[in-house]
Amino acid sequence: MMRQTLSWSADLSTPLAVAAVALAVLSLALLAWELRRSRGKSAIVALSGAIATALMLAAVLRPVRVSARVTQVGPKIAVLVDRSVSMALPGDGAPRWLVARQAMRDLRDASPDARWTVRGFGTGAASEFDTSSDDDARNAPRSDLVAALDSLTVSSEEMPAAVVVISDGRLDRPSAQATGEALRTELGSPAVPVHTVAVAHGAPSDASIRSVHAAGAAVAHQPFALRIEVGCVGLPCDAIPVHVSELVESGPAVRLASGVAPIVDGTGMIELPVTLDRAGRRVVKIEIASPPGDEIPDNDTRLLTFDVARDRVRVLHVAGSPTYDVRALRMWLKSDASLDVVAFFILRSLTDDVNASNDDLALIKFPVDELFSEHLQSFDAVVLQSFNALPYGLSSYLENLARYVERGGGLIMVGGQDAFASGGYAGTPLERVLPVALPEADAPGIIDTSPFVPAYSSAGREVPVLAPLRALLGTELPSMSGTNVVGDPHPGTVVLWEHPTRRTRSGGPMPVLAVGETGNGRSVALTIDDAHRLAFSESALKTSGRAFGALWDGLLGWLMRDPRFEPASIEVAGGCRAGAPVRLVVRTLPGVSGEMELRLAMLGSDGASPIIRRGSPGSARQIDIDVPVLAPGGYAATLRFGDGPSTVQDFACERGGDEWADSRPDPNRLDHIAQATGGRSVPVSDVRSLSFPKAMEVASERRSSPLLPPWVWTAAASLMLGLHWIARRKFGLY
Amino acid sequence: MARRGYQLTARSPWWTGWFAVLLLAAVAVLVPVPARALGDSVAFSARFLLVGQGRVTGVRASAPARWSWELTRRTSAPARLAPEPVRADDPALLAEPFAWWIGADDPGALTPREVSTLQRFFTLGGVLLVDDSDPQSGKFGSGARRELRRVLPDSTPVSIGVEHVIFRSFYLLRRAYGRVAGPADLEAIIRGGNTQVILTSHDLAGALAQDSGGLAALPVVPGGDNQRELATRLAVNVAMYVLCANYKDDQVHAPFIMRRRARDTR
Repeated sequence: MMRQTLSWSADLSTPLAVAAVALAVLSLALLAWELRRSRGKSAIVALSGAIATALMLAAVLRPVRVSARVTQVGPKIAVLVDRSVSMALPGDGAPRWLVARQAMRDLRDASPDARWTVRGFGTGAASEFDTSSDDDARNAPRSDLVAALDSLTVSSEEMPAAVVVISDGRLDRPSAQATGEALRTELGSPAVPVHTVAVAHGAPSDASIRSVHAAGAAVAHQPFALRIEVGCVGLPCDAIPVHVSELVESGPAVRLASGVAPIVDGTGMIELPVTLDRAGRRVVKIEIASPPGDEIPDNDTRLLTFDVARDRVRVLHVAGSPTYDVRALRMWLKSDASLDVVAFFILRSLTDDVNASNDDLALIKFPVDELFSEHLQSFDAVVLQSFNALPYGLSSYLENLARYVERGGGLIMVGGQDAFASGGYAGTPLERVLPVALPEADAPGIIDTSPFVPAYSSAGREVPVLAPLRALLGTELPSMSGTNVVGDPHPGTVVLWEHPTRRTRSGGPMPVLAVGETGNGRSVALTIDDAHRLAFSESALKTSGRAFGALWDGLLGWLMRDPRFEPASIEVAGGCRAGAPVRLVVRTLPGVSGEMELRLAMLGSDGASPIIRRGSPGSARQIDIDVPVLAPGGYAATLRFGDGPSTVQDFACERGGDEWADSRPDPNRLDHIAQATGGRSVPVSDVRSLSFPKAMEVASERRSSPLLPPWVWTAAASLMLGLHWIARRKFGLY
Repeated sequence: MARRGYQLTARSPWWTGWFAVLLLAAVAVLVPVPARALGDSVAFSARFLLVGQGRVTGVRASAPARWSWELTRRTSAPARLAPEPVRADDPALLAEPFAWWIGADDPGALTPREVSTLQRFFTLGGVLLVDDSDPQSGKFGSGARRELRRVLPDSTPVSIGVEHVIFRSFYLLRRAYGRVAGPADLEAIIRGGNTQVILTSHDLAGALAQDSGGLAALPVVPGGDNQRELATRLAVNVAMYVLCANYKDDQVHAPFIMRRRARDTR
C-alpha cells in the first residue's frame, strides 16, 4: 500500500524547524497585538502579514511531499507444542495431541495477522514441529519446557512478542512445586508473556506405577530397597499387589519381591527389598495388578534397567586335592583385593589314613549341600579345580550348578586328575554348560600325559580376554605335562588354545582353553593343570610370574563381563521406546576385527535371536545400527566379531515409560506458568480469547519531492512582505 | 557323601601303624603308584637343596621319599615318591616352589650363582625349609642363617608359634617336633605376608629317615615313637602349607579350629 505525507526539507533538523515555527508564531502574535491597538485598520494588514509570515516559514522549511510503501507486520508469536509421549494419553474429548492440533488451528484462525512459529518441545531445545505428522506429535521421552524457552532466548532469530505453550501440564521441567517468582526464575525470566493452553483437564480412570526409586546403588548380591509409588484414579482401589522380577536371557523372569501397596487418597507407597546377583545392566520388571476398568493398562508395568555394580567378585574355589596348581591359583586369588574368595580344598580323601583322631585335625566337613544349594547364587563365579564330583556328593548338585550358570553365573573347570570326564562330569547336567563336550568316563585315554605346548588358535591371538597374557609372553606358552581329553567345542564356544596334535571326533584340534556362553552365564574350560608354570618356572622369571595373573585376570574378567575383555560396548542411543525406531551404538575396542554379527532377542524368549546386522566394521570404531521397531519388553543385544567371544547388552523398551507413569493432566501447573510470566492460561475452548500485540507498519521505498522550488517560496515571501509594508503605510502603521 | 571323608577315625595301636607302613612300603616298591595328577609337576616334591659340593648321604637321604609317602598316605595331596635333589645354582630349582636344605655342618659360603638362583627362587614365591640335622652344635643353623642374610638381606627370621598357619594346615599341632624335641616354636622369614623360609632346629629329616628295611633309622630324643609321629605331622603340615598357602587362615575354618584349640587347653 502506497501512502503520501508532507514534511519539511530533509536538510533541516527538527530543532531548527521548531525554532522557525516559533518565530513565525511570535511574529503573528506581535502583529495581532499591534492591530488591536490600532482598531479598525487591521483586515488587510493582518491578512497580508499572516500570508507573508506563512510564506517566510515555507521559505525556511521548504515543504516536501513524501511517498512511501507501507507494510503491516503482525506480531511474532512462538507456539511451543508439547511433543512428549504423554500427549498420546486421553485429553479433553480426544487424545491430547489431537486436541493440541485443534488448538493450533484455532490460534491461527483467531489471529491471522500474527506471524506464527510452531516448535515442539520434549528433550532439550525446542525444534521444528511438523504439524502434519502424527508421529512427531507424541514421541519425546521427556517434556522439558525450561530448555525449550532457553532455546528461544538464545536464538539469533527475532524474539517473539509472546509465547503460547500447548501442553497437558505433565512436565519434567519446571518443577511441579515452583510458583511465583521462583517459577519465573526457573523459566529463565522470559521477557515476554507465556500464555498456556491446557489440552486436558480430567484424569482417565487409571491405576499406574507412578515412580520407582532405588534407595542406594544396586550392588551385586547386596539387597537394596525399591520405593514404589502406586497411583489409582477413578477406580475402586484399596490395595494393589506389586511384583518385582528380573528378566533373564532365557527362561521365565526371576521373582525378586512381592508386596501389597495400600491406597489412600489415590496413592500408595511400598518399599520392597530386592537383591540382584548379576552385575552389569539388568532389566527389572515391576508390575501391579490393577482393578478392572483401567483405561491405560500399559502403565501397569515398568521395565527399568539397573546398572548393577560389583563391590567384590565372590569366587568359590573348590579343589579336589592340594597341588602346586591349586597353590598358584590360591595365591593369585588371595592377592587380588577385589576378589572375595571362599575356598574349599579336599585335603583328605576317603581312603587316606590320617593316623589321628578328628580332634587332632584342622579339617572341616566339605559343606557340599550349603555351597551348591543354599549359597550358590551368592557367588559370581565357581572354580572347580580337579574336583571329582562323585565321592564328595557334588553329583547330586550338578543340575543346580548348571542352572546357576544358565541364570548368569560363571564357571571355570580346571584340568587335573579329577576334572572333566575323569571327574565324573561326562553325561551330567554340568556338561551342557561347559564349553566342550566330554568323552565317556570309561572311555580309554581320557587323560593324556604326553607333554605338549598348547597353540594359540586364530581367535586366541585376537581376543581381548588373552590380551594381558599376550602382552607379556606374545604367543609363546610353556610346555605342559599333559591334558584332560575333551571333545568338540559346543556351539558358540570359542577355542583360544588348541592341542598341537590331538584331534576331536570331528577332526578339529582338541580345545585346551575354551570359553563359552550358555543361557545367561559363561563358562571356561582349561584342560591342563600346569598353568602354574606361568607363575613358577624358569620361563616365568621373564615376567616375574605375572603371566599367571594375566591369564586368570582375563579369564575371570571375561567371566564377569569386565568391559576390558569385551570386544565392544553397546548402547541404546536416547533410550528405547516401544513402537519407535531404536538406534544401537556399537563402540569396538582397538584391535577387534572380523565380521560383525549383531543379534537381538527378547529376554525370556527361548527362541532364536535373529541377526539384525552383519558386515565388516572396517576401521570404524563406532557403528550406528538402526533397529526395527520393538515391542515393549527387555532385550539382549548380542554382538560378535569373527570367531571371537560375544558380548551381550541388556536393555528395556517401554511404551510410555516415565511419561505415562502419571496419566493425570496438570492444568494447574500451566496456570502457574502463565501467572508467573504475565500471560494467560486458557482451555482449548477459549483459545481464541488470547490477545497479542497489534501489527506494526513498516515503510519501504520512501521518496520525497519538494512542493515548489525554494526560490519560489523566497520570491513569494519577499513579494508578500512588500505588499504588507505598503498596506501598513497606507493604513498608518509603521 | 562328602562328609563321610571326615568321619572320626579311632586312633590305632602304634604297632598297627608300623605294620601298615611296612606293608604299604612293599606295595609302593612292587606296584607302580598311579599319578595323582596329569604330570608330576603339580605334585609336592620334598627335594633336597644341595649347595657347594655338598651331597646328601647317610640315612637322611631316605627322608624325602618317606615324607612323600606319609603325605600321600595321610592326605589327598599328590607327592613325588622319589624326589631328586636340586643344586642351588641349577635353574631346575625354579621348576618347583619348594626345597629342603639340611645339614649338620656349616654349609660354607654360597657362590654368587647360588645366591642369584636362590634370590630368583624367592622372587617367584618359593618356600625353603632349613632343617638343622645337628641342632646341638648349631653349626649348620648359624651358617645357613648367615648365607640367607646374603640371599635375603632385608629379611630377618622371626619366631613362629602355634598361631601360625603351619601349626594347623592339616594337623592341629601344639608345638614343633623333629628327631629332637628342641624349641616349641619354629623360625621363619616372612616376605610380603608369605612365609618363604621355615627354619627348624629339630632335625625333621632325622625323624623321617628310615633304614634299608624301612624302619626308623634314628632314635628320637627324648620322646619315642609319639614324638616321631608328631614330627611326621609337622612335615605333613609344612607340605600342606606349601601346597595351600594360608588356606587354613580362611574365615570359614576359624570357628572350628578355635573350638578345637579351646578344647585342647581345657
